[in-house]
Amino acid sequence: MIDLKFNNVSKKYRIYHEPEAEASKNILRRVRRTLHRNWNDFWALRDVSFEVSRGEALGIIGQNGAGKSTLLKLLYNITAPTKGRITINGRLAALIEVASGFHPDLTGRENVFLNGSLLGMKRGEISRKLDSIVDFAGVSAFIDTPVKRYSSGMYLRLGFAIAAHLDPDILLLDEVLAVGDAEFQSKCIERINKLRRAGTTIVFVSHNLGAVESLCDRVLLLRQGEISCSGPPRYVISEYEHMLTQTPAWSTGVNNKAPFPAAEITAIDFFNSEGSKTTIFATGDKARVEVEYVAHERTDDALIEIYFYSMFGNLHTHFSTEGNNLDLERGRGIVEFICPELPFEVASFKVEVSIRRRGSSFNDHIDYKHAVGINVVRGKAVHGSFHTPHSWRMKRLASKESDEVEALVKKTD
Amino acid sequence: MSSSSIKHNGSAGQGKARPVSEIGPPSISGINLPAHLAKLAQYKDLIWTLSIHRIKVRYKQSVLGVFWAILQPISMMLIFTFVFSSIGKMPSEGLPYAVFAYTALLPWNYFSTSVSNATNSLVSHAQFVTKVYFPREILPITYIGAALFDFGVGSILLAGLMFYYHIPLTLNALYLVPIILTLSCFALAMSFLLSATQVRFRDIGVAMPLLMQLWLFATPVIYPLSAVPQRWRTLYTMNPMVGIIESFRRVMLTGTPPDSRSLLFSVVVSITLLVASYVYFKLSEATMADFV
Repeated sequence: MIDLKFNNVSKKYRIYHEPEAEASKNILRRVRRTLHRNWNDFWALRDVSFEVSRGEALGIIGQNGAGKSTLLKLLYNITAPTKGRITINGRLAALIEVASGFHPDLTGRENVFLNGSLLGMKRGEISRKLDSIVDFAGVSAFIDTPVKRYSSGMYLRLGFAIAAHLDPDILLLDEVLAVGDAEFQSKCIERINKLRRAGTTIVFVSHNLGAVESLCDRVLLLRQGEISCSGPPRYVISEYEHMLTQTPAWSTGVNNKAPFPAAEITAIDFFNSEGSKTTIFATGDKARVEVEYVAHERTDDALIEIYFYSMFGNLHTHFSTEGNNLDLERGRGIVEFICPELPFEVASFKVEVSIRRRGSSFNDHIDYKHAVGINVVRGKAVHGSFHTPHSWRMKRLASKESDEVEALVKKTD
Repeated sequence: MSSSSIKHNGSAGQGKARPVSEIGPPSISGINLPAHLAKLAQYKDLIWTLSIHRIKVRYKQSVLGVFWAILQPISMMLIFTFVFSSIGKMPSEGLPYAVFAYTALLPWNYFSTSVSNATNSLVSHAQFVTKVYFPREILPITYIGAALFDFGVGSILLAGLMFYYHIPLTLNALYLVPIILTLSCFALAMSFLLSATQVRFRDIGVAMPLLMQLWLFATPVIYPLSAVPQRWRTLYTMNPMVGIIESFRRVMLTGTPPDSRSLLFSVVVSITLLVASYVYFKLSEATMADFV
């Protein structure tokens, strides 16, 4: 039984180039220019065909801009394809956070009814599920309070809890595991697993390869709007990892510095355990970063800092030379950052490096270079979000009982 | 957490019939009106909840509350009454000018409020349109629902005015049913047309107040139809609002049946336009989220 079918689906977006801001007095000319704007056609999806059987969980992975969101939008009927047909057999719902549709002046209860019916629930169904929704979101005490008084966490949880109470044949998941605290996330996962056990067909779009691998039966890898490969999760994920190693990382980016800096960063290079220059590391690999600088004047009390950002720009971690006395002599030099076991999960990271004076404010750097990128591929297994150097130890505990057992054994001998 | 109810929800989907839907590129031949209407009917709870929501939100945290629904037509009536009694005399077919004007301002306001709000409804709900699927026509429809509520509240005042001026209500008032239906159809048609266009061309929203003002003066609201010179009459009555407003006032104030020819013209135009604009709306709905 096929629940979802994409038949040679393509989606084109037309990107218009806005006419130049120079305001022409001639209205007719402005109208004509607006109508004859230049555009580029951008194919977000090209000739995509696949099927999802009933009860199957399909994962969709790929880099940003590969067409994952477009595919979800087409599935969810938010926009129509330019070519091809999509057949959906069953009621489809997306587990998305709908809090952006909340009206601040209405109470939590009123908003649950509003957004529940927006998601296609009947009033009776919402009344029946209201307690469970409120419970799920953990906002029972505030359900008759206008949502503008809610904390942002409560807001998001309530929005998500509504969607989590839909009862679909086909469930779309889009990076859902990013909402709320650990307890709330585990509730969501529990809910997804329950639906899955009940035979719900699932389409899961995520950058979290670990989650994809554990949840999905089959994975599609999208690349520039086309299906690059599909198959069992393990196989497709390793293909993806291989693809990441082929993709060039971000090149050294823009300078962002004072007009006459005391010191400048001239290069940032990454080296693996063999000492060769690379931007691809496996989790747990030894990594060495060489920050090459030139000091135009003696710079005492310098701080060199290195930042690791996710592709979405959240800071993953940051290290600094704080605590070491770093006086930069006039001239060129290299500061090394050595990481014995790279802790990151499989993903791409942006790396930024800054030089500033100890005690200066965060933004007051002497030089700042960013957009060096590294790709982390599968090495030491990471199913969570980081790896750390560690060891295991085993100890036997001698207890009275075991002595007695031993004694007993001896007796019967 | 009441896991029992969740478990129940999880398995409830199995017994029900599964709808099959096909999504393809937008095309006229792909517009299946009965299927769209059936889908719309499934969402009647959303239409209801959203319409109530509009009314609630509008009057929440306002001191005068629901009184605002009357204030709009009443203030317009007072202004026009003042202008036409102190500056120039406006013929009002032998009726007190205040009630003459109010009787037309009431349906007029219903029309202009619903169309103005509905036109902007898709753009102002971009966060819904780009995130969740539901039949998009629900957004303009709910604004018409909310305006209908105001119309109902305003009608109470009309009843009061008629009582005050001793204007009797006749059986011909039953014509109100088809008149209001026609008015709603026409408002809906304009809303579909303008809101779908507004998604691509924001000029529509900016031009709305001006358009409504011009339209008000092109409709016998503050003056009687008889004040329009005969040679312009044919062109003038091409405006479907003429037949609707004139009929409304006639059945209410003079107690005579409406001019069947002009009302019929409005009915035909409204229904034809409604079907055409719905098809247009559905065609443009398919890729609305890419523009909004």
